[in-house]
Amino acid sequence: MFFLSSQTIRRHRHLYAGSFVALAVGVFLLGLAATATAATIAHGTANLVSITVTTLGDADAAPRPVKVPMSGEDVSGLQVVLSLVGTISGFITIFVIASTFAFAVASRRQELGLLRLIGATPRQVRRMIIGEALVVAVAASLTGALLAQLATPLLLSQASYTELAPVKLEPASPWVPLAIAVGIGLVVAMLGARSAARRAGRVGPIDALREASLESARIGPVRVIFGLLFLAGAIAMLALIRPSSGEGVVPLSMFTPMVLVVALTLLAPLIVPLLGRLWAMPLVAWTHVSGRLARSNVIATPRRSASLAAPILAISAVAGSMVLSLSFAADSAAATIRDTLRAPIVVTAQSMPTVSGVGAVDAGLPVQFVRAGAEDAQLEDAEGIDPAIASQTRALTPLSGDLSQLTGNTVAVSKQMAGFEHYQVGDEVPATFLDHQAVKLRIVAIVPDGLGVNPDFLLPLDLVRQHNPTAKPERLFVQPAPGVDPTELVTRLEHAVLATAWEADQADGVRQGNQLGLVLLLGPAAFYSAIAIANTLLMGSLQRRQEFVTSRLLGATPNQIRRMVLWESSLVGLVALSLGTAITVTVGILIRHAMTAGVADVPVTVPWGILLGIGGLCLTLAVGSALAPTSYILRVVSQETVVHQRQ
Amino acid sequence: MTATAPSYPSVVPESAPALVLDGITKTYRSKAGAVDALRGVTYHFPRGSFTAVMGPSGSGKSTLLQCAAGLDQPTTGVVVLGGVTLRGLSEVALTKLRREEMGFVFQAYNLLPSLTVYDNVALPLRLTGKRPQRAEVHAVLEQVGLGDKVKRRPAELSGGQQQRVAIARALITRPSVFFADEPTGALDSNSSRQVLSLLREATDRAGQTVVMVTHDPVAAAYAERVVFLSDGLIAGHLDRGTPGQIAAAMSDLER
Ligand SMILES: Nc1ncnc2c1ncn2[C@@H]1O[C@H](COP(=O)(O)OP(=O)(O)OP(=O)(O)O)[C@@H](O)[C@H]1O
Ligand SMILES: [Mg+2]
Repeated sequence: MFFLSSQTIRRHRHLYAGSFVALAVGVFLLGLAATATAATIAHGTANLVSITVTTLGDADAAPRPVKVPMSGEDVSGLQVVLSLVGTISGFITIFVIASTFAFAVASRRQELGLLRLIGATPRQVRRMIIGEALVVAVAASLTGALLAQLATPLLLSQASYTELAPVKLEPASPWVPLAIAVGIGLVVAMLGARSAARRAGRVGPIDALREASLESARIGPVRVIFGLLFLAGAIAMLALIRPSSGEGVVPLSMFTPMVLVVALTLLAPLIVPLLGRLWAMPLVAWTHVSGRLARSNVIATPRRSASLAAPILAISAVAGSMVLSLSFAADSAAATIRDTLRAPIVVTAQSMPTVSGVGAVDAGLPVQFVRAGAEDAQLEDAEGIDPAIASQTRALTPLSGDLSQLTGNTVAVSKQMAGFEHYQVGDEVPATFLDHQAVKLRIVAIVPDGLGVNPDFLLPLDLVRQHNPTAKPERLFVQPAPGVDPTELVTRLEHAVLATAWEADQADGVRQGNQLGLVLLLGPAAFYSAIAIANTLLMGSLQRRQEFVTSRLLGATPNQIRRMVLWESSLVGLVALSLGTAITVTVGILIRHAMTAGVADVPVTVPWGILLGIGGLCLTLAVGSALAPTSYILRVVSQETVVHQRQ
Repeated sequence: MTATAPSYPSVVPESAPALVLDGITKTYRSKAGAVDALRGVTYHFPRGSFTAVMGPSGSGKSTLLQCAAGLDQPTTGVVVLGGVTLRGLSEVALTKLRREEMGFVFQAYNLLPSLTVYDNVALPLRLTGKRPQRAEVHAVLEQVGLGDKVKRRPAELSGGQQQRVAIARALITRPSVFFADEPTGALDSNSSRQVLSLLREATDRAGQTVVMVTHDPVAAAYAERVVFLSDGLIAGHLDRGTPGQIAAAMSDLER
């Protein structure tokens, strides 16, 4: 059957082009993630500076020594991002590949029927489809791997010396990582092809004699049940987005829309016709025939409309929710910074000369220590402060305990950290400083969260100086002497800005950091969805050749057909976008509520430009990829005359 | 006019018919209601015969052919092809039987567009797992007069040439029964003549059996017997009729 596969695949190039591109890009991203991970591992083993700490142990785990890499060499941030990118790429590739293969089979019923008619067994047909998929998969995987190999140095040079990987990364041996990526690509393709092949095996010889099968409008009970299960799961996840979930809300804002998308995609054959009817109302009122035709086409083939809507729904919901959530996260970060910083002036220097009119200078010393937990140990950021000064310049009023006792081997812990670790005043935190000295830090106070201003652990200044004599402040919070106008004082200080300006800078920094994350995580997903949207609509239009021909023979002008396709694809796009918007708004509102609990006057930044851009892009892509093949068909058809009518 | 000495080797006694339909009914059920396409058809197709099936549109001709070839299950009744009862055969057994004992030619869409003429003809052999012999494929293509079009693809052939490729593909496995549904329906009279002669030759030279559905009295006249179908029942038959006689019989039927 391999002979057949290699012959037929040439004929069905356009059917497989989408699968090829999607898989090649998937393997490319997987390969890139793998080679970059290999580079970080190679770097880690080559010159890792670390501290060995013994964990505390608990009922389930005996104490054991663990190596904790020092911050200067830490590339684990990059590794986390890379594994996320790899996971998302793999996940979406399965979806796209499965749907394009299924489409390829559905549009070839007659041909497969003919094969069965002249003596191919169902098994042989299955093997042919698998063979075709294998040819595409091998070619695509190798192409993707090659591209990944070419792009690796570029990625590593971009990733070096960044927040995620503050070191220089060199490409490692590419064979193992690329082999893994190619292997995953092949497995994903085969998984996607298997269900398509199984369906192809069910095509009977009689299908060779029948017109392209009309879809059955019924949607299976299994599909509905799974749709409802996913919906229930999504609702449970939505319920988790609340103030007490802490940092967990950010991943929730990413995965909840995905689950919602799966649920709505499964239920789409029920929902799409309803929404389609709604959106079609103005269209029908406005146009003559074309709007009406478009409406009946969308409503009469719910399954087809649903599969056209699916990729648009997916990307608009996932991207919309993430963009909105991260913007709200930045809003709440800005509000927290504003509320935490009390000093009106910030000096961005390591020290400052004595100037008249200065009341107090809060020169906190940044430091790191390794905190041993029950099962592992972690590098923590801390700051040495003078509690008397810091409680004037920052909002540090303890929620419990007493900050003035911050002397000797003591620590003040943020509310969030205390919540995670169930710390209470009087508990001891086992810490190992980077001079390898281990101490037990007694908790004297729990203070409010001050993300962006305070780290989770505040130590006495002397303790920091003792373990790290070279520590230098990164910024100074300055309180003017009583009666001195800060706006006047700031002009007399070098490297000084008003706190409001510094706060805005910090918030911008958070937004920029978010942007990088968005691009890294959403980039591949958006790219895939674009392929999927173009793919399904393109093939959807190509499949309707016969219908267009008949319409032309019945007297429809090419323009009427084009308008019908235009309204139809817009209708599908609008239905999908309205579902995507509903998901985005729901997630956005919950996230906002979760993040702003307890903070007053949080600014609202809705990135309208990006959100509208996503919607506009989806619509343009959908309409464009439906119209282009239609125009092509109409041009070809006008030169043909014979319509084959079967017996 | 019946062939006297069939050369086709078979374990079945030579007197036994090639194809037996016994009390075939077929009811299509759909949302719109049930349609009785066949209402009890019993007929024996003798070995080496060329039979034309005629009847008004919707009389069940295509349904009859599909049931006889095992492409569709009759609702009741038995089909016996070359001594094998079709009912109860597995999908794979049916496929093997189709591969070895049956050849098909339809009005349109008979060929795989991606394959060359040569590969289309050789395909049934490949499907059985045999390596096609070049000489064998070329011989069959010569037989249908397409020895010079071996490398073409279907899209580069005329309708009549495509039908002849389909016949060549059916011939190569030396099937005992040919099923043809309006094989000349889309052809001009010249191409029709070539295709019909090839089918006639199959019965005369190789003792193969041909069952052909047609609307064309001229085409039907190539058969030694025309069976008339009306409303899912056999309404009669005409032996060695001229096109004029057949046309007259048809218009009687349609009245
Ligand atoms: N798949 C099907 N589902 C439902 N009804 C069918 C189906 N196929 C055929 N029929 C009906 O069965 C009857 C016989 O159809 P059939 O195709 O056998 O007629 P025919 O004699 O071949 O007609 P024609 O000369 O027009 O090809 C018709 O009434 C037709 O509507
Ligand atoms: Mg028919």
